[in-house]
Amino acid sequence: MSRDLRLDRLAKTFPNGTAALGDLSADIAAGAFVSLLGPSGCGKSTVLRLIAGLEEPTRGRVEWPQTRGSLGVIFQEPTLMAWASAAKNVALPLELAGMAKTQARERACGALEKVDLAGFADALPRELSGGMRMRVSIARALVADPDVLLMDEPFAALDEFTRGKLNDDLLRLWAERGFTGVFVTHSVFEAVYLSQRILILSGRPGRLVADIQNPAPYPREPGYRTSAAFNATARDILDVLEEVSTC
Amino acid sequence: MLMQVLRIILPIALFAGLIQFWEWSVVYWEIQPFILPPPSAILAVFETDGASLLGSAWTTLGTTLAAFALAVFSGTALAALFASSRIAEAALSPYAVILQVTPIIAIAPLIIVWVGLDNAWLAVLILAWIAAFFPVLASATAGLKAVDPNLRDLFRLYRADFRQTFIRLMVPSSLPYLLAGIKTAGGLALVGAVVAEFAAASGNTNGLAWRILEAGNRLQIAKMFAALLLLALMGVALYAILSFVEWLLLHRWHGDRRRA
Ligand SMILES: Nc1ncnc2c1ncn2[C@@H]1O[C@H](COP(=O)(O)OP(=O)(O)OP(=O)(O)O)[C@@H](O)[C@H]1O
Ligand SMILES: [Mg+2]
Repeated sequence: MSRDLRLDRLAKTFPNGTAALGDLSADIAAGAFVSLLGPSGCGKSTVLRLIAGLEEPTRGRVEWPQTRGSLGVIFQEPTLMAWASAAKNVALPLELAGMAKTQARERACGALEKVDLAGFADALPRELSGGMRMRVSIARALVADPDVLLMDEPFAALDEFTRGKLNDDLLRLWAERGFTGVFVTHSVFEAVYLSQRILILSGRPGRLVADIQNPAPYPREPGYRTSAAFNATARDILDVLEEVSTC
Repeated sequence: MLMQVLRIILPIALFAGLIQFWEWSVVYWEIQPFILPPPSAILAVFETDGASLLGSAWTTLGTTLAAFALAVFSGTALAALFASSRIAEAALSPYAVILQVTPIIAIAPLIIVWVGLDNAWLAVLILAWIAAFFPVLASATAGLKAVDPNLRDLFRLYRADFRQTFIRLMVPSSLPYLLAGIKTAGGLALVGAVVAEFAAASGNTNGLAWRILEAGNRLQIAKMFAALLLLALMGVALYAILSFVEWLLLHRWHGDRRRA
């Protein structure tokens, strides 16, 4: 058994007959940052839900290292409890696991600090901006130190500026914590900026059509976005996507 | 600022004007007091019959509050059961609906026979409870179903058990729905209590409805109005208190329905 997370010929057909995911096999190395890219409806969210165990595959399986790693998830929406403060929201995974309230709060505040929200522990979600809510969601996903972080287009609803800032925050946290990142996005440029590896899925039912490595070293600074290396990788991906969408 | 003052002054002025007009028109058109008594005569009733009216109001209020409390408790409990078991919901919800769609005035005679006229208060309590029960059940059930599916997934992901999910997720997300239902239930408990008192039509219940019947038989129209006034005040007070509770519990996070 390797330390990797293995997706073994994963397929999912929903009870209503929709074949969402056709066939996906991939080894995701521990500590890697991988993006899933593909046309809308090709089963990207389904892959994440399968990995998270929120959905059972119709065929194939998700193989974990010896023990099933702990998981963090960031949804497209911040998905916060509207009635609870930022700190309460972040402390949720800890409290559900049985940690004492005061200790959980302490760690939650620490996690909020990491996403630059130190002063907002007691703010309610409605008192925060969209980007700040997303950061609370990131803090919640990371507070329990997960081995694997699943992200489903987490920044899609944000403006370019906030998105870039959160991309950098995310990479910094990834370097610090060393979790395995699986990131779903519609944006080729976001995928290139963040990932070591980009998996491209075809239209529904989703199949793996390309597995592109991005060897650019970390830390990646905003300057990387305009470099020749960045453009070359983006070009490769765009070429594949063009082929996928024409067939 | 001026607008704010007007918003308070204007309704009061309108009300005072209407009362004044009522008083004046009864005199001007020489309307018989057993058709429409003037407001002054209605107030005078409280001097002569105040004690018996207030005593009856107290009785009706007591039954209303007891029925309301029972309805809130049983409605939420049943909704919680429905939320935890689909089978229970499928098996039991038809009866709840039957209870709701059957007019309580039609069930009243049966209930009164069952509990015996000597226990008319119990019949009133049961009927008021039936009237108030359904909105609580319906709103709590709707609320429990309206939980954000992503949050539900999140709780599943962190392996929350049913108790944790219920207390931390389902109760708070359904609270806005539940409180709206509870507000309706308060008014319906009062309506149910009064309807049941009418149906019992016996001095045994001794509630405000009985006072109205009694006064009607004796053509004491002013006293009927006085009893009506008390009923209306009770209903409004109940609604105001429940609205305040709702505001207390929700205004911080639920004020504008912006998505979180
Ligand atoms: N619970 C479900 N029941 C039935 N069909 C579903 C269900 N969930 C998803 N699908 C279908 O499966 C397909 C893939 O859905 P999925 O959400 O994985 O796509 P996606 O790649 O994440 O799309 P997008 O990029 O638009 O988010 C879609 O056609 C969708 O309609
Ligand atoms: Mg999706």
